[in-house]
Amino acid sequence: MAAPQPSFNPKTLWQNFHESYKQAIVGEWDISMPQQAAPLTVADLKETTVQFQKLIAEARQKGLKARAVGSSWSLSKAPTTTGWTFNTNRLRGRFKVPAADVDPAYPGSADQKAGLYLFQCGNTVADVNKVLEGDGHKRALFTSGAANGQTIAGATSCGTHGSALGFGALHDHIVAIHLIASGNSHFWIERKSRPVMSAAWVQQLGATLKRDDDDLFNAAVVAFGSFGVINAVVLETAPRYLLETRPATAKLDEALWKVIGALDFSTHPLFKDAGKPYFFQAVINPPTDEVLIMANYRKDGPASYQPNYDLISEPKSIGPGFDALSIVGVILDKAKQAIPPFSQLAAKQLFDTKPKTGTPGEIYGFKPPLLHVASGSIAVALADARKTLEALIALYKKIGPVPLVLGCRYVRKTPALLGFNKFDIGLMISLDGVDSDNTRKFFSAAADRLDELGIDYTQHWGKVNAYTPARVQKAYGGNVAKWLNKRREVLPDAGDRAVFDNDYIAQRGLAG
Amino acid sequence: MRKLKAGAACALLLTSAGCMQYLVQPPQPSLAGTPQTVQANAYLGGTVQQPAFVSAARCRNGEQLGRVLVRRNFWQGFISWVSLGMITPATVEYTCANAGDPPVGGGDS
Repeated sequence: MAAPQPSFNPKTLWQNFHESYKQAIVGEWDISMPQQAAPLTVADLKETTVQFQKLIAEARQKGLKARAVGSSWSLSKAPTTTGWTFNTNRLRGRFKVPAADVDPAYPGSADQKAGLYLFQCGNTVADVNKVLEGDGHKRALFTSGAANGQTIAGATSCGTHGSALGFGALHDHIVAIHLIASGNSHFWIERKSRPVMSAAWVQQLGATLKRDDDDLFNAAVVAFGSFGVINAVVLETAPRYLLETRPATAKLDEALWKVIGALDFSTHPLFKDAGKPYFFQAVINPPTDEVLIMANYRKDGPASYQPNYDLISEPKSIGPGFDALSIVGVILDKAKQAIPPFSQLAAKQLFDTKPKTGTPGEIYGFKPPLLHVASGSIAVALADARKTLEALIALYKKIGPVPLVLGCRYVRKTPALLGFNKFDIGLMISLDGVDSDNTRKFFSAAADRLDELGIDYTQHWGKVNAYTPARVQKAYGGNVAKWLNKRREVLPDAGDRAVFDNDYIAQRGLAG
Repeated sequence: MRKLKAGAACALLLTSAGCMQYLVQPPQPSLAGTPQTVQANAYLGGTVQQPAFVSAARCRNGEQLGRVLVRRNFWQGFISWVSLGMITPATVEYTCANAGDPPVGGGDS
């Protein structure tokens, strides 16, 4: 049976999942798997490659921009294009990498070798969790963001992270990338220091193998769709484990500052017996000194454990409607005195205060969707954690209440050239709240304040950010030129690069 | 000041009166493609509908519905109110669902 061909939809207005912005486009293409009911094969990957190459070539020939779009999850305009969007969320092929296809020089352990999985770009984080944690595999991701609706390619391309204290971000699971760059080129990219797939397998795929250095991989893994279309990635995974959540509230006192500002769990009453958690998050509501804490401890589960991912809304339950925040944002812009109680109520409403135990895919599982959320994130070195948080709390008090809270999460360093998690141990401060004028002003003022204080910081590419070319340069230094050069290595022709340029990267000095 | 606040509250109530939205989704949504928007009108209390039914035409190759959202904004609510329910416009937004989970290939068995 012939493979389904891409289907054009003359839709001219695209908006992100959370409906925080809109973008005029020329149309969208739905791309389908060559065969839905059978396991993914190399022939399927080749067929999808040919389909993408035809579309990219046609876009270039028509003078259109183009970009692959997964779940449209980004709050930043990273995935936008003025031309064609390629909807990739039907491309959900997956396979466990057979030992015979692993390069003999793969430096990973036997367990790592047994835990290599290829996922096509359209698998969501939820899909990845379900496959890995299922009966036949009993594996897991090392870390995960709070949400699971993003596609694996979209989430990793924009630097999504979690708060596993001993691991990096979601993109740090990736060890190989299949990149379709232009109408006549596609690459299999790995680090020279970590070869994964055998040359024979890559040859069967028909891709050009690129693993002469580490830099190309480190550039392409966080590139927000600017290097072309990521068709598939190979992930390293962990043996399946469970997380036991221990939610709590605590006063922001010196003992808690030791935890939040230095990850010192030795003296605070909540942790001195329990020890260092696997995952730790603290949510500060600036008008109060009450901090919501989520400490998750890793434990082994029985082999017979059956995850249940269902999100069920009880018939008589009451909660915020899908679009509740669009009205709330307007109200809070006009009635600032309502913000502190609202923030407290919202933080408690959205914060799961019931202890539970489950796989990472259950704990960071499906959540009731909400439109018009606003979120930006700033990362600083752990050494600057307290100074930065105190500056942001002072800024909050100075410019007046803002409908947001400060979420503190911690991530290890990535080798990705433009990785959000560039610090050895980074504090990722999520500024999470309601999309409103005041919130957007705070995002901008926060970056200005850190500049004034001379604090080294990065910003989350997939969330609202105040990056300028100067700030990108200051954050990443020589890595910016390396990233641009590596982009030119896979897209040597200016016309091919132009297809994947957008305003977002142009405004950050990363286009062309 | 009190009058201003009361006015603002009334304005807010007016703009939200008639607005509504209902979201329907499965316990584990797996969305395919992007949301598709259809403007629909019900006449005479729903006796007549235009279109006669909303066809999720973008859901192909065995795909079913992954999410349905029915929305009514202020103006749609206003029309419904002034026409005493004779004309009831709404915006229907549907997203297709992936047709099942593809099997996991590979492995060494």
